[in-house]
Amino acid sequence: MNMFSSLMLASLSVLTLPIMSSILNTHKNSTYPHHVKNIISYAFITSLIPTMMFIHSGQETIISNWHWMTIQTLKLSLSFKLDYFSMIFVPVALFVTWSIMEFSLWYMHSDPYITRFFKYLLTFLITMMILVTANNLFQLFIGWEGVGIMSFLLIGWWYGRTDANTAALQAILYNRIGDIGFIMAMAWFLFNANTWDLQQIFMLDPNLTNLPLLGLLLAATGKSAQFGLHPWLPSAMEGPTPVSALLHSSTMVVAGVFLLIRFHPLMENNKTIQSLTLCLGAITTLFTAICALTQNDIKKIIAFSTSSQLGLMIVTIGINQPYLAFLHICTHAFFKAMLFMCSGSIIHSLNDEQDIRKMGGLFNAMPFTTTSLIIGSLALTGMPFLTGFYSKDLIIETANTSYTNAWALLMTLIATSLTAVYSTRIIFFALLGQPRFLPLTTINENNPFLINSIKRLLIGSIFAGFFISNNIYPTTIPEMTMPIYMKLTALTVTILGFTLALELSLITQNLKLEHPTNMFKFSNLLGYYPTIMHRLPPLASLSMSQKSASLLLDSIWLENILPKSISQFQMKTSILISTQKGQIKLYFLSFLITLTLSMLLFNLHE
Amino acid sequence: MSLAHINIFLAFTVSLMGLLMYRSHLMSSLLCLEGMMLSLFVMATMVVLNTHFTLASMMPIILLVFAACEAALGLSLLVMVSNTYGVDHVQNLNLLQC
Repeated sequence: MNMFSSLMLASLSVLTLPIMSSILNTHKNSTYPHHVKNIISYAFITSLIPTMMFIHSGQETIISNWHWMTIQTLKLSLSFKLDYFSMIFVPVALFVTWSIMEFSLWYMHSDPYITRFFKYLLTFLITMMILVTANNLFQLFIGWEGVGIMSFLLIGWWYGRTDANTAALQAILYNRIGDIGFIMAMAWFLFNANTWDLQQIFMLDPNLTNLPLLGLLLAATGKSAQFGLHPWLPSAMEGPTPVSALLHSSTMVVAGVFLLIRFHPLMENNKTIQSLTLCLGAITTLFTAICALTQNDIKKIIAFSTSSQLGLMIVTIGINQPYLAFLHICTHAFFKAMLFMCSGSIIHSLNDEQDIRKMGGLFNAMPFTTTSLIIGSLALTGMPFLTGFYSKDLIIETANTSYTNAWALLMTLIATSLTAVYSTRIIFFALLGQPRFLPLTTINENNPFLINSIKRLLIGSIFAGFFISNNIYPTTIPEMTMPIYMKLTALTVTILGFTLALELSLITQNLKLEHPTNMFKFSNLLGYYPTIMHRLPPLASLSMSQKSASLLLDSIWLENILPKSISQFQMKTSILISTQKGQIKLYFLSFLITLTLSMLLFNLHE
Repeated sequence: MSLAHINIFLAFTVSLMGLLMYRSHLMSSLLCLEGMMLSLFVMATMVVLNTHFTLASMMPIILLVFAACEAALGLSLLVMVSNTYGVDHVQNLNLLQC
């Protein structure tokens, strides 16, 4: 028999071994990080076999192991869905994680808590695998919350820094707002489909799916940093670079997109939700690309680039192409992780300098990093026949030839050209020109961990698109015939962006620095969105609640309405109308005399 | 009227005059009020018992209950005055300040 399910379960459970080794206290060794890296590479190789079997036979598997509990009519069990999406995502994620683990052996070498760091990264990977292979919404939610918690712990890794703590808390808060949508979707499915299993939901095919799909869209907005819930992603760059490379470029932020892809049978029947996702993705991709244009921190530019690509994935779901979005997820992981690793290499070499205005001239000083940065940027912008081309160009072509919202399409095209612009900006400022860093340099990229990890992802960035596209089975048929100007649209706008950015950078290099214009300030301060949204709503809600709770309820209703108003009224009126002076003895005496006189009069009167 | 009735009536009148004519302490006025209540109680009980008017036997008891409430009220007023001034001299009660 085929060993499909057993090999897949083996590769997934092998990942949990280092976590359990803390029982045996082997995690106090100094070679624990190496063990973790080796285990992930073994898991990757083991998971390649079921993937190849799946590609050969096209046979999907659902493994339902363990009956957890039954709540009245709902049966919850541990079930893994190994279909097209999870079978291809698991090897890609394990490969990228393997390279990132090797990279962080170099990057976090001098950290005293490096074993804890690796344990956190491994726990994150396990929860991500749970999310991806989940067959029911409950297990998906477990993975969902797990990646959120690990993101919090890893962003706040250097917890002595207040900015890191605020950024971690910001990530949790924004993700929580998305979780409200997730729970709403779960509740709707519980009430209307009596299940949390994906198979039963798709079989029942409910008619009015607006509400749960809105909930899932909100969850994707929170987790994948779409417009409205996006500020946590650039703030999450406070974490170490391996964290940024793993979580916030390849794996965690695609969880929201993955959720929407999982529900594509429901989404293809609902035109309203498709238009909503399309517009949301278009706004996100354009807005974050505009914000990326004037940032000065290299990690923030790459973070905004991630956000923009996530918007592009959401746009792809909006034009009813879930398989293309999934392809973009897989290819994007390669070059985005590599871009983050190159930026980590630059940062460490320049002694923790992250500002691109203080870099320069690294073209000759760090040749390997330069090569991988340029290839990664070209792959990102969709240079023909590198990795990004196979997904991004297909997306733009399909969007051009589909019956869709023209405004959203225009936004996406502009954002594509802006991708080229900010990539040129990174290359220009970090690599070209004369050095702007301090003369006493510690530039060293000779560590084999660094070189091997980046080299692996480099080969992936060049060939993975071709490799994956040729080996997957055909799903939705891409558009084959279109006019030549549509076919060349993506290429044209990208080249336009490159030339424009290069010209502008070269021309303005020696000009006097002007005062920032309003447009510059808009772009640099992230469209004023965090400034407004982090101050105004909390102030408004807190002051309103204070006024209503303590002023209105306590002071007015309980104190002032009956007791104090009565006493005030009585005092005022009695002062107003009394004319007495308080000579009590005189009053008593006059009373007595009156009484005596009247008694005498009545009794002695004949 | 019989001698006992005149005796009790005289006790009532003496207490009344003590209530209305006093020098300085408010407490003496309250005490005379209690004396009036006591004589009224005795008078009512004597009349009810002498005329064998059994149905009205509860009237003195009820009178006593209300007298107790009223004594408590008078004492609380006395305590309030004493809190403000320290002594309960009547000449202090000439400022009608609310």
